This record gives sequence, structure tokens and C-alpha cells, in this order.
Amino acid sequence: MSTQSQAAQTLAWNMKLVAQHELSGFGGMGEGTNMQKTKDGRRIFWMAHESAPKNFTGVDVTDPHNPKMVVQTDLPHGDVRSNSLDVVGDLMAVAYQTKKWGLKPAGFDLFDISTPEKPRLIAHFDASGPSSRGAHCVWFVDGEYVHMSCGAPDFTPTHEKDDQFYRIIDVRNPSKPTEVGRWWYPGTRKGDAEPPPPRHPKFDGGYRPHNTNVYPGRPNRAYVAYIDGGAWILDISDKAHPKAVGHLQYSPPYNGFTHTVMPLLSRDLLIVSDECVKDNGIDWPKLTWVVDARNESNLVPIATLPLPPVETFSKRGGRFGSHNLHENYPGPCAWRSDTIVLGTFFNGGVRAFDTSNPYQPKEVAYFVPGAPKMSRAGAIQLNDVFVDDRGLVFTVDRFAGGLYILEMSL
Amino acid sequence: MLGTLTARDPLAGRIPVSVVTGFLGSGKTTLINRLLKRPDMNRVAVIVNELGEVGIDNDLVEVSSEQMMLLNNGCLCCVLRGDLEETMRDLFIKRRNGEIIDFDRVVIETTGLADPAPVMQTLMTDTMLEDQYRLDCVVTLVDAVNGLGQIATLPEPVKQAALADRLVITKSDLADAAKLEELEAKLRELNPPAPIRRALNGEIELAFLVDVGLRNVKGKLEDIARWLGADERESERGDHDEPAHGHRHDTAITSFCLRFERPFSWAVFTQCMDVLTALRGPDLLRVKGLVNVESRAGPMVVQGVQHLFHPPVELAAWPSEDRSSRIVFITRGIGRSEVANLFAAIGAVQGQAKG
Repeated sequence: MSTQSQAAQTLAWNMKLVAQHELSGFGGMGEGTNMQKTKDGRRIFWMAHESAPKNFTGVDVTDPHNPKMVVQTDLPHGDVRSNSLDVVGDLMAVAYQTKKWGLKPAGFDLFDISTPEKPRLIAHFDASGPSSRGAHCVWFVDGEYVHMSCGAPDFTPTHEKDDQFYRIIDVRNPSKPTEVGRWWYPGTRKGDAEPPPPRHPKFDGGYRPHNTNVYPGRPNRAYVAYIDGGAWILDISDKAHPKAVGHLQYSPPYNGFTHTVMPLLSRDLLIVSDECVKDNGIDWPKLTWVVDARNESNLVPIATLPLPPVETFSKRGGRFGSHNLHENYPGPCAWRSDTIVLGTFFNGGVRAFDTSNPYQPKEVAYFVPGAPKMSRAGAIQLNDVFVDDRGLVFTVDRFAGGLYILEMSL
Repeated sequence: MLGTLTARDPLAGRIPVSVVTGFLGSGKTTLINRLLKRPDMNRVAVIVNELGEVGIDNDLVEVSSEQMMLLNNGCLCCVLRGDLEETMRDLFIKRRNGEIIDFDRVVIETTGLADPAPVMQTLMTDTMLEDQYRLDCVVTLVDAVNGLGQIATLPEPVKQAALADRLVITKSDLADAAKLEELEAKLRELNPPAPIRRALNGEIELAFLVDVGLRNVKGKLEDIARWLGADERESERGDHDEPAHGHRHDTAITSFCLRFERPFSWAVFTQCMDVLTALRGPDLLRVKGLVNVESRAGPMVVQGVQHLFHPPVELAAWPSEDRSSRIVFITRGIGRSEVANLFAAIGAVQGQAKG
């Protein structure tokens, strides 16, 4: 009998499909997802789209068996993408990154989403400039500061790929977002005393941050994944002057693109994910690392999350490897665990791991949807995951499949 | 600090495994053949001794090789290769890779001469398998015509019956009512907790063969009663300290339930079981119980086959007001009083040591 892995086949273990929503045919979703609990008791799941023409979509998931789209918005033109958003209460921050330097909108918008059907623009933070594409990723969980990977009009990079850096924006007055601090990889800005960092010899992904996570449980730390620059821990007790206190660089010999640094605060561990950015296993291995962070200045990788064989999955179509994690978001709607870690792995689907023994993480659940209709990868490309406080898993496809809602039995 | 710390339920999420056993000619192949054709067998992997013997009509088979066949109801049938661990690990790896259906239940057919104990021990204690699988149920088939004779003369059928969670009398159309009743009485004597069902031509509903084991640590009263035994072994009626028929001898199968009102210290309980398994492991056919351990919120679930025990699991809460420890024993020639006395003696000595 045939033992080829079939991309059309759904693979599931301890996760069951509750519902899928194709989002009116615009099911190519980015890596910004979060859930709002409205004042009238509904749960709205917000998602940024991977690329134009759509900006963001809100789906009422109060009844997970019957998700209802409540709003879907358009971008002003085709050379900008939103990709990332975050929600606190009735405030939503949406990132804008343009394809080329100098275009607008580049930066982020703040919306009042108290009426989810009618998001109301409160302010736009303009980060456009001669060497800026704006914001790739925003982190907004406390209602006070937006932490982001973004360019700036006054920032001229030493290399064109290093055009974004870590910026902290005070939005306590939401109508007047103001920068309060910034940090960049030494040598990536013209005029730096340090020399520009060496390019990755095989896959030059650039030196710019991807995720910039700050948790209320440890407000004086920013956990910054710096693509080819590895994982950083910054001391932000003084937001005006972030200071590097920890750094882990494992590329080369690994293939770069550090994507997320998520602390498991009660256990002094970090979960560090890479992003796979090439199809068919070309940039394998793209891993998710378990890092001992007892000593911030000496971060030690101790394990990686076990993935199914690349020999099999690299042939299923599109990308296969690590990407986004469920980031233990603060807030009323998120599930949080310091032992169970969930991530998306493109055609490897969404997978859950038990890290109780950090030296030997174990896979405990997975869901790999069959190839969505019209997907140009010919396979599922799960891009991001959010787990809500009901234990429901919300995961999105990068190209076509839209939103999948799953029940997890752990 | 993060708000919620969520850990994995040690019972949930394992793929349940049913073991189908029974002596030569008891109708295992017929039962498996019938099962494989049922529409509700969707996403079940069946491990058999030989594919050829199963004799599935070609029009039901989608694809097949020497090792495996995929049926059009979505169920998979594969041959036991090498040892059981290897076959089951290989199945899970193929499942994870999308090379076969993602089955959510496994049925294993043992050979007729097999002692089911090692299969059960493998499923309960193999640390490589326990991440993915859990023993759900042991189903023993007994031939209505020859069953009594086999039980009277051979050791294997006795042990197969004694270890079962479910008993199925096959070929019941070929035996008269009196013989069937005699066989049922014998089976009830060997294994009082196990429900008995009669089957014709292997026709039996899947529901009778599955969902016996505990599925999560938040087990409800009926789940626990179902796992521990039909009537939770409350009444003395079910206890067979003295075999009902014939004379007592050392090889007689005995079943009883011990109850303890006072909580155990975990050390005392494990010492009792250690002594028991050290002295009489091979005769301790099956042990299942809920144990009230001091300062624990829920009962500890213990289960063992002969000298090997599943790692203990603590349930989230007691399923009812009854907080007494309940332990069901199926033994070969170890009486209720001997086990009760051993527990009393060790408990007393330990109690003194504590002062």
C-alpha cells in the first residue's frame, strides 16, 4: 500500500476540529491574533491578514461551533500589509509594513473596538521614512505601551535588511502615541561605533527584531527575537535606555531567523522559536529551542521540541518548520501554561508539547489540516496559534484556509 | 507571575487499546472480521497475527500490502511484526507522518495460546508506549461448546478469562441453555466483575469492547464504577474467597475486593504491594483500585498485572462521598484474608514506627 504522506489528509492527535471559517475567501492570515471579550459578553477573535487586499478580520467565536464574521477591513493599497495586531480591552493596535521604503502607511493604528462591527480609528503612529518600511510586529498587552519591530524616519540602517529595530511607544494617551525608548543591534545603524554584524553565510535574513515580548509578570524585561541576530533579553526598567542583559546566538551554524522568545517565568526557561522561510525543507532545521535562563547572561539551550521527520514533511508542500508560539498572553481570554507549549509549524500544523521535563520535551497533541482549497502551497501552512481560556485552539493558515478552531484533549 | 499553570492530564489523550484474547477456536478471527466491516470502526487500527486469516472481501479493501490493509470504512488492519512495542511504535510514527490513517483506537488480537498478561504489562508499563497509548480493555472470548472443558483442563483459558474486563461467549447457538448457564456461572466465578455478553457469528457492538479504562483524571462515578467492575464490587456476593465449585486448591482463581476506611500513607500502601508482589507476583493476576492516600485531594488509581504496575495516577477529586480505598484482586490461590492480614500487619508495624 502507498505510504506516501498525503497533504490532502488531515492528521490529528488529541485535537479535534470544532469549526473552520474561510473568512469570505480571504483566508490568508498573518501572525497577529488575539481575543477580545466585549462588554456585552461576546468573544471576538481578531486576526491580521498576511497580505493585501485585506487588513484585519474579527470573528465572533462566543459559540466556537458557529463562528460568525463580524467585520473585515481593507488596506489602502496593495503595497502594504498588516500581518500583526494585538488587543487590550477595547483597544487594538494594528501594524503596517510597506513593501518599499518611503511608502505609507508605515507604523501602526490604534482602534477603538468597543463596537467590534465598527472599529473606530483613534490614532495612527507614523513611522514612515526614507529607510523605513514601518512595523512588522506589535506587542501590546498592558494598555500602556506598544513594543514593536519597526523602522523610523531618523534610522538609516547599515544594511538594507536591517531596517527595523525595537521601539517602545507610550499609548497611555491613545490619541497621541509617543516613542519613549528604542534599542537596536549594535552596528546596524549608520553612525554606530560598532562594525555592522556579519551576514548569515547561507540565508541572509537580516538583523531586525521579530517578536518583542514584555510580560506584566516581569515588566522590566523585553524578550526580543532578532532574526539572524539571535535571542536577546533587554533590561527595560528605564524604558528610555534599554540595556542588553542576555544574548543567545546559535546561527551560524544554524540557519538564522530567530522569531519568538517566550519566557516561562515560573521556571526560568525560555522557549525560542525560529521561523522557516523557505519551501521544501531548504532552510531546515528551523527549530524551537528550550533554553535554560537561570542565568540571563549565560543562556544555555538544553533541548528542542521534537518535530516529525523533515524527510516526510518537506515533501508535503510549502514550508515545514517552526514559526509562531502561543505566547501566554496576559488578559482575560488567554490560556496560559508554563509547561504546555503550542506552536505552528506551517505544513507540520499546530503541535502541543509538554515541557515538564525541560530536557526531554514531549509532543502531546497535533492537528495538521488537509490542504485547504486554492492553497498555492498545495498543503496547509499554519501560521499562528492562540489558545483561549476555554482550552480552545485558534489557528490560521497563511494562504487560504482561514481560521481553524480546535478542541484539545490534554 | 502567570495566572494559570496548566499541566497535562496523565490519562487523557492516550490512544485507547483493546486487547482481544481467547483460546484457539474461540472465534477471535470471526469477531475481528465482523468488527472490521462495521461502519463505526472508522479510524481503528487492528493488529492481527496474520492478514490472510482475517479474510476480508476484496471489495472492502482499498489498498493492501503484506503488512497492512486499509479498508473503505476508514479502518486499518496490520500484522504484528517482531514484538508488540515495535509494531505499535511504528504505527504511531506512520500515523504522525500521515503515511496511514490517523487512527484513534487500537484493537490487538492475541494468539489463542497467548497469555494476555505480558501484552497487558507491555501496555501498562512500557515507557515508550505510554506517551501515546493506554490499555483500555481486555476482552476474552470463550467458546460456548468447548469453553467449559478448556477451562477445566488448561491453564491458558482460565487466565484469559480471569484477566478480562469483558467476557464474550461465542458460538452460543451451538450450545444448549443449560450448558450456557453453566459456562456463565463458571465465568462469573473466575471473574465476577467482568460483564458477560453472548455473541453469534462475531456480531457484537463496538461499545461493549471499548471505553472501559479511565479516560481522564476528572473521572465521574460511573466511569470509575465501569472500570473497577460493574457493581464496584460493593457486595460480598461478588466475592469468591472460596471457589464455589469443587475443592479449594492452590491454583483456584479467586476474586475479592478489599475496603479500607482509613487513608493510607503512600509508603505503607506501596510496601504492602511490594511484599505481595515479591512473595506471590505470578499469582496476583490482576489488581485494580482506588486508594485514599493521606493529604491527597483525589484517590490514587492503581492497576497491575502480576508483578508489574502502571505508574499510579492521582484523580482530580473523589467521585462521590465514599472516601474508602477499594482494591479489587483477582488472584490464583491467594485468599482475601491473607491479603487483608498482610495489609493489617504492615499497617500496624508502620503505625508503630511512626509512634
